[in-house]
Amino acid sequence: MRLYKKEGATVQIISFPNEKVRKGDYLAIEDSKREESLIVQVIDMEYANIPGILEELLRNCNGDSSIEASIEGEDVDPFEVAAHVRYIQDARLLICKIRASTHKGKLIPTGFALPARSYARIRNISVSELLPCPSDKNGYPMRLGEIAEKKHLDVDVRALDGALNIITGKKGTGKSHIAKLLTLSLISHGAPVVILDLNGEYVRLGQNTKGEPNEFYSKIHVLTPKQNFKITLEQMRIRVLLNILVNVLHLPGTSAREFRRIWHFLEQKDALTIEELGEAIKNWRCNQHVRDALFSRYYTLLNSGLFTDNPAQATSLEDSLDRVRSGGAIVLNLQNESTTNRHILVEYVLGKLVELLTTWRLRAIFLFAEEAHLYLRETYWDDIVTRMRHFGVFTTFITNQPDTIRENIYRQVDNLFVLNFTNEHDLDPISRAARVDACTVKSIVRDLLPHHCLVLGKVVNDFPIIVKIRNLNVQMMGQTRLFFLNKDLQVNSIKR
Amino acid sequence: MNAQFPIATTLKYNFPSPKETLQLHQLPKHFIELSLQSLKQTKHQQILPTKKTTTQFSTHQRPQPPIPTTELLTLTPNPTTTNIVAIDVSSVKLGETKTGILLGVRGAVVWKNPDHYRYLRLGPFPFHITRHIENRIRRLYHQNHAASYLQENSIPQAYFIQSRLTTLLERWIQSSIAHTTHNSIILWDGSLTAGTTETSVSTMQELLATARSNRNIILAFSKMTRLSLQGFRLTDLIKHTPPCLLRIKEYTDCIGPLRLMGNVYVAKFTKGSFAFRMDADKQLPSVRVVDAVQNLLGNDLILQSYPETLRLAHIFSTFTAIEVLGLQRCIIQKSNLKVVTKLNMHRLLFGRFGKGPEG
Ligand SMILES: Nc1ncnc2c1ncn2[C@@H]1O[C@H](COP(=O)(O)OP(=O)(O)O)[C@@H](O)[C@H]1O
Ligand SMILES: [Mg+2]
Repeated sequence: MRLYKKEGATVQIISFPNEKVRKGDYLAIEDSKREESLIVQVIDMEYANIPGILEELLRNCNGDSSIEASIEGEDVDPFEVAAHVRYIQDARLLICKIRASTHKGKLIPTGFALPARSYARIRNISVSELLPCPSDKNGYPMRLGEIAEKKHLDVDVRALDGALNIITGKKGTGKSHIAKLLTLSLISHGAPVVILDLNGEYVRLGQNTKGEPNEFYSKIHVLTPKQNFKITLEQMRIRVLLNILVNVLHLPGTSAREFRRIWHFLEQKDALTIEELGEAIKNWRCNQHVRDALFSRYYTLLNSGLFTDNPAQATSLEDSLDRVRSGGAIVLNLQNESTTNRHILVEYVLGKLVELLTTWRLRAIFLFAEEAHLYLRETYWDDIVTRMRHFGVFTTFITNQPDTIRENIYRQVDNLFVLNFTNEHDLDPISRAARVDACTVKSIVRDLLPHHCLVLGKVVNDFPIIVKIRNLNVQMMGQTRLFFLNKDLQVNSIKR
Repeated sequence: MNAQFPIATTLKYNFPSPKETLQLHQLPKHFIELSLQSLKQTKHQQILPTKKTTTQFSTHQRPQPPIPTTELLTLTPNPTTTNIVAIDVSSVKLGETKTGILLGVRGAVVWKNPDHYRYLRLGPFPFHITRHIENRIRRLYHQNHAASYLQENSIPQAYFIQSRLTTLLERWIQSSIAHTTHNSIILWDGSLTAGTTETSVSTMQELLATARSNRNIILAFSKMTRLSLQGFRLTDLIKHTPPCLLRIKEYTDCIGPLRLMGNVYVAKFTKGSFAFRMDADKQLPSVRVVDAVQNLLGNDLILQSYPETLRLAHIFSTFTAIEVLGLQRCIIQKSNLKVVTKLNMHRLLFGRFGKGPEG
């Protein structure tokens, strides 16, 4: 490899066919005289733009359209020049981004010295030279997967602590898989997790691939609304309920004020039940429009099936959270729920979390939200990343539509897990994240293989790394539902 | 021979050795040895690449005096099967060293059989031309009279030596073909001019005689830009519909030491503004030449007045920019040069074409 040129933070290196370099690899450009080196990452590869290459290719092409191509012949090449020609012909230009520099073997983040082109030595460096590898003694290791043959990427799970993370990639690339990996790593180090499970994909996290209980079995608590998750009106806080009525069910302001009065009335009577609420609205002295407005929302709540007046049937979220306090996950199964119900449930759960966090019943919670735009109000976004983060809600957003996440969230993101995207425009919002340069993301992501993820941010010390995410021994459930079955299977079943 | 080069030393033939039946696959030992010898001296020297690496030339053009009279010969293509062979040799200057210049030489032969073309490429051969090698080359020519003005330790003059080396290989291939081919039309690039520093009159006479004895006919084509008649360009003189030949009569045979061993024609084979100078063996009657040309027209593809077989030979012998780089790399490796980076591969590879990642 030879250093060719540098433009801003981009370095171009010529690599010859016998040198094995892949996109995402790290190289050190070493200037031994000054004991300095530049750490760069290969983000793209091009053919070296050699003058005359077209001529060369045309001359040697095997197409049938040109006369030259149809000619057979022989070369007497005693000096074996042809090998040298091929060597040059196959030279590649590596487009690299400067990531760091070193002085006397120590990483220094700034002050990129320009290595001497004539004698700088370029070598591949392994990720372990860049990232400290955490062990159980000095940290909280989490194995993300493979980075090279038989080399694993272990990172410290503390990089997720207090952090805002985004997992994105097109459908079926393994986003939920990464979320599960992070969840299980957090759990095994004793952290509490809440998962807003849109498609019911996390409900079997406690089972292995054969459907038997795995090591996490006792730590996964699935809450399925109407089945094992019902709430009483009393468990609700008026603030949370008003939020739902106004923001989700669009109750007008005057009616909301009237509702507050009704609530206090019932509270004093110690009769905060769904049934009493209906009675109270019926008999409340107020404008007919207000009553109608209140009634329509009341029926929505009633029909949601989420509420119960029987305290024995109700679930205590506090109790559930107590159970995961020292490691475990609550999976809120939102599958089969209407949009309204999802909103109600999520507002309720988040309201509860904030309540428990402000009263220090919980230290912190890791929240995983799949396609959050489907059940979180727009205005909740800022709340989650700023206010709730201060309380200790550390969110990971998972989406296949990066543009559903607002720009200011990208700006605050600490860790980004990007899987393959074919459409470059999908990447535009991601490129705005403060931790990435647009070139790196666009160029690497479009060529990511299945299960390969570009990891950016704190978790990798801001050295973007491509990792093949490891497999998990859990029931996946994420598989796309299909009509046509695997042919072999069908044949087998017919034979039987 | 240098042990670094795994080249078979069983070559049977010395150069030039027109009396023997040459086989093209076996290159003259001297030619390869010359190359190896020349490269040996390159060791531990610095190579300064030429700025224009693509100065190539393969023809031998010289200014000609005005011509007196012409004769128009109309042609009818004759499809009777005739084999055609074309020969061309190219050279390229690769760089300079303190004591000499680096050259690459390659020859190509293309055969046109009734249904297909076939080629043989010889080379490329790298050369480091120093005074010492220059003298050896001169000895190979058995000529001591010309170009002896070079100072002992001066750098050989690029143009002359490049042309000599090209001709050396070219004459050898031409000689081999003349010996081994029968009843064919042999196409050369250039003219039948002898008496130059590169080609003695006897060499040319021998080549033509060998061809004649094997019932071959040599037709040499060259671009004519400077040939003119009474102030008119020859190309413009042909008013007749092509294909036709314009025979230039009473063309001065001797100009100083130069001897024209052929009759000179203007060949206009297709419509359009293209025409070429064609030289044909003076010893052959004009009808024989016309017959051969008619056979050529009936057997080969003619594009822009130029036979395809010869065009292919030209294409196969010339160097592409990448081949120039490949040769330079080959020399650097084989001659074990110390100061490798002085040969600016980057510049050569990317030059002004290099572009940024976003470009
Ligand atoms: N790193 C991986 N190793 C093995 N299987 C994987 C991996 N990542 C994803 N999968 C499998 O691929 C399928 C799709 O993954 P999933 O996480 O549901 O994709 P997404 O959430 O992006 O739509 C699932 O069956 C999952 O088990
Ligand atoms: Mg998913």
